[in-house]
Amino acid sequence: MTQPRNTGNDYLFELALFLATSARNCIDEPPLYGPFRLLDALSRLADFPEHDDSLDKDPFLKEAKAFVDEKKFLVTTDVEGFTQAADELVERFAKELKRRSAENRNKK
Amino acid sequence: MDVFEAIKGRRSVRKFKPKQVERELTEKLLTAACWAPSGGNIQPWQFIVVEDRTILDMVRKISPGYFGETPLAILVCSDKTKAHKVGGTMGRDYLSVADCAMATENLVLAAYALGLGTCVVKSFSHAAMKEVLEIPQGIEPELLIVVGYPDATPAPPRRIPLKENTYLNKFGQSFQHTEA
Repeated sequence: MTQPRNTGNDYLFELALFLATSARNCIDEPPLYGPFRLLDALSRLADFPEHDDSLDKDPFLKEAKAFVDEKKFLVTTDVEGFTQAADELVERFAKELKRRSAENRNKK
Repeated sequence: MDVFEAIKGRRSVRKFKPKQVERELTEKLLTAACWAPSGGNIQPWQFIVVEDRTILDMVRKISPGYFGETPLAILVCSDKTKAHKVGGTMGRDYLSVADCAMATENLVLAAYALGLGTCVVKSFSHAAMKEVLEIPQGIEPELLIVVGYPDATPAPPRRIPLKENTYLNKFGQSFQHTEA
């Protein structure tokens, strides 16, 4: 029953379709579904290297995806917990941004 | 299975085992759905059982609220033309939706009693669903039920206690409930 591995182009189309349908649905859905869909999109985006061999696997994004997948459904049961998880995710990204910036500066 | 056990035990499942749902069980689910209450006995529900893997994959891709891979999805639609003809505007605009919701509840409770997991999804693209499943005018997709054998069952979410939403005789008058 597991789906065959999509090619990069198939996966890109699937992601685009997810964004299009989410955008339309967000007009009518509960406001918190907007951030929920964005986080879910992040999770799906992080899978891109699995479908396109030209991309490097990114350990940080892989970890971010695991974190999002663990926390995203809090949106339906624990809004405070969902918000804290989103805050923590952004903090993790900010630290990673600083780390990558320093690394790039040192390379120059 | 005791009905209260099914009501309290059912969860929205989003992780499934790669195992087919037997057709016999699918038919039992649909029969349970058809025994739901129906305003004016209109029975406006129409079901599209999606088993074909290619079509199921398309349905999943146009439904942001569809999580996990399942061998089966059932789209509950309302026949608005019939509901209007028999039930007037109330039948078309209200009863048809309520009836489909009650049929859906019957179906998911029956699924739980049969060892299956379900998740009721409203977050699908209405327009794309009509296109993909070739749904004619007058038939409206209401709820998508994804069905499979559960691989993980979430913890029960908090329920609002009766003292916060139940009144006795008049709105706002305390209902002294005995449930712990």
